[in-house]
Amino acid sequence: MGSVASAAVPPPPPQSALPQAGAPPYGPGLAGILPQMSKGEEKKDEKVDYLNLPCPVPFEEIQREALMSLKPELFEGLRFDFTKGLNQKFSLSHSIFMGSLEVPAQASETIKVPTAHYEFGANFLDPKLMLIGRVMTDGRLNARVKCDLTDNLTLKVNAQLTQEAHYSQGMFNFDYKGSDYRAQFQIGNNAFYGANYIQSVTPNLSMGTEMFWLGHQRKSGIGFASRYNTDKMVGTLQVASTGIVALSYVQKISEKVSLASDFMYNHMSRDVTASFGYDYLLRQCRLRGKIDSNGVVAAYLEERLNMGVNFLLSAEIDHCKKNYKFGFGMTVGE
Amino acid sequence: MGSSVSQAGAPPPHPPTYASTPPFAPAAADAADAAAAPPPKPHEEEATEEKVDYLNLPCPVPYEEIQREAFMALKPDLFEGMRFDLTKMITPYFALTHSVAMGSIEIPAQGSEVIKVPTSNYEFGANFINQRTMLMGRVSHEGRENIRVKHDITDNLSLKINAQLTSEPHYSQGMLNFDYKGKDFRSQVQFGNNGFYGANYIQSVSKNLSLGTEAFWLGQQRKSGVGVVARYDTKKMVATAQIATTGMVALSYVQKVSEKVSLASDFMYNQMTKDVTASFGYDYMLRQCRLRGKLDTNGVISSLLEERLTPGVTFQLSAELDHWKKDYKFGFGMALGE
Repeated sequence: MGSVASAAVPPPPPQSALPQAGAPPYGPGLAGILPQMSKGEEKKDEKVDYLNLPCPVPFEEIQREALMSLKPELFEGLRFDFTKGLNQKFSLSHSIFMGSLEVPAQASETIKVPTAHYEFGANFLDPKLMLIGRVMTDGRLNARVKCDLTDNLTLKVNAQLTQEAHYSQGMFNFDYKGSDYRAQFQIGNNAFYGANYIQSVTPNLSMGTEMFWLGHQRKSGIGFASRYNTDKMVGTLQVASTGIVALSYVQKISEKVSLASDFMYNHMSRDVTASFGYDYLLRQCRLRGKIDSNGVVAAYLEERLNMGVNFLLSAEIDHCKKNYKFGFGMTVGE
Repeated sequence: MGSSVSQAGAPPPHPPTYASTPPFAPAAADAADAAAAPPPKPHEEEATEEKVDYLNLPCPVPYEEIQREAFMALKPDLFEGMRFDLTKMITPYFALTHSVAMGSIEIPAQGSEVIKVPTSNYEFGANFINQRTMLMGRVSHEGRENIRVKHDITDNLSLKINAQLTSEPHYSQGMLNFDYKGKDFRSQVQFGNNGFYGANYIQSVSKNLSLGTEAFWLGQQRKSGVGVVARYDTKKMVATAQIATTGMVALSYVQKVSEKVSLASDFMYNQMTKDVTASFGYDYMLRQCRLRGKLDTNGVISSLLEERLTPGVTFQLSAELDHWKKDYKFGFGMALGE
């Protein structure tokens, strides 16, 4: 969430890119949880071996379990995604979205207009190199690159290009992975520079810090993050000089059910939100739901109809704003 | 369609009445389908054996239901957003219903742009159904009431009442019908508010062909009209034609391709407004689900899927794309106990 704190100031686009960047590493990230088990066993057998601590979760993914449960990809209208694998490494994707788009309106009334767009994508995935590109009917281009320069050093690039002048965004990341720590250095357009470092302190606890500088706005910030996780729970805390305080807690009830909660407070805008949600994994479907203190109730259902065919139902009800969003969709070949 | 023709003559008050008629027609259509199915068989056998017995023709379809097969395929109950219906049987005759609908509703806007606002609605209903009497009531949280009554006075004479009551003055509607069912003909007399009077008569002319006529008078608008209809149906197809002095011409054709698939088309022309529309659709009945779709000359493509998850639980998906207006509507819903 540190990146989100720094990104919260200037660039919404990098903020949108980060969740996408965060999504692929979930796979290897989840595998990273397994070593904790062996560490737990060792802990019972003997004293903690401080010279052999596990590698921590990347700084910007410190809240990934809570994000998975509490922030599913809700949508309104129709969504259809089709992915065609051309060979082992290269695939094409076609996405269609049709539905209502909310437009800014005076007073508290919500107004929507119907909209539709099509997105074409190309993906190249290799053990050391990942290239993802997306182009939309209105000319926007989204590109992501991840390249392992060495076993420990990774280069990541995120870019969003548009036809409107001065609205394009780009971000470079150099990630270094040590035996029990991670470091990251970021360079973005509009003279953005950031760095973060996270270190395992015990087998279950890791702590990190970040700092960033926005050249155009001549503004800087410092952030601090802490994460405690076992096989059954994950608790995180994040504070930044931008005035953001973020807490999250995820409890695994069983192999199939997780409960999640998070708390977000922004000292500058006096905005405070608390959310509670669940993540229910069944044999052929996954159901996620949440309720938050802004009066929003949401649910997201993914059901596997066949191998490679998923059916989606999305529902979001905002009682305070009296806004209702319902949609269904299908994913083929994912 | 006779009712809609007469109602088209009086646009402001009668569209609501028309809106309530289709839900009534399908229910009666199902019963009438069962009733209508057996009689043709013996007549067909007789036809192969001997000349048509003009003194023993079947009873025709009610005048306002002449296009019911096309309606079922081409005018499904589409919706946007979320819909949830729960029906609870209190006794074999009495049931309560709860309906929740949430989604976007279109508001009039300048220019050709479509603008929507979110809305939600709850409706409570009570149904009483018995051999001779049917009472249905619906009240929504905005105070609107919808009432339908059907009562068999004798074996041949039925009384039907449709009413919509609102809190706004002068917007309530009511319609009283007396239906007489003869051996091979039907006639109906209608009384509505705002000085509406109507009558229609339909007669079987041969085993497969029936012809009908209607007349109506709108007292407050001092306007009258006359209409004629024809319907030709066999086990595999239904064709209808309807013309009225209001300038309305309506044709429909439904072909049953197999036990599971029907193809339907209709054509509507209004000489007054020079409005013309043609629609093509299909009705696909599978073991546990029903899929209906249609395409019309206004650039509208729509589809409705109803799947029975378990007995008494139905899942619905609705989609409508209006390419010319660039309006898209998608919704899903669930019906319990239906």
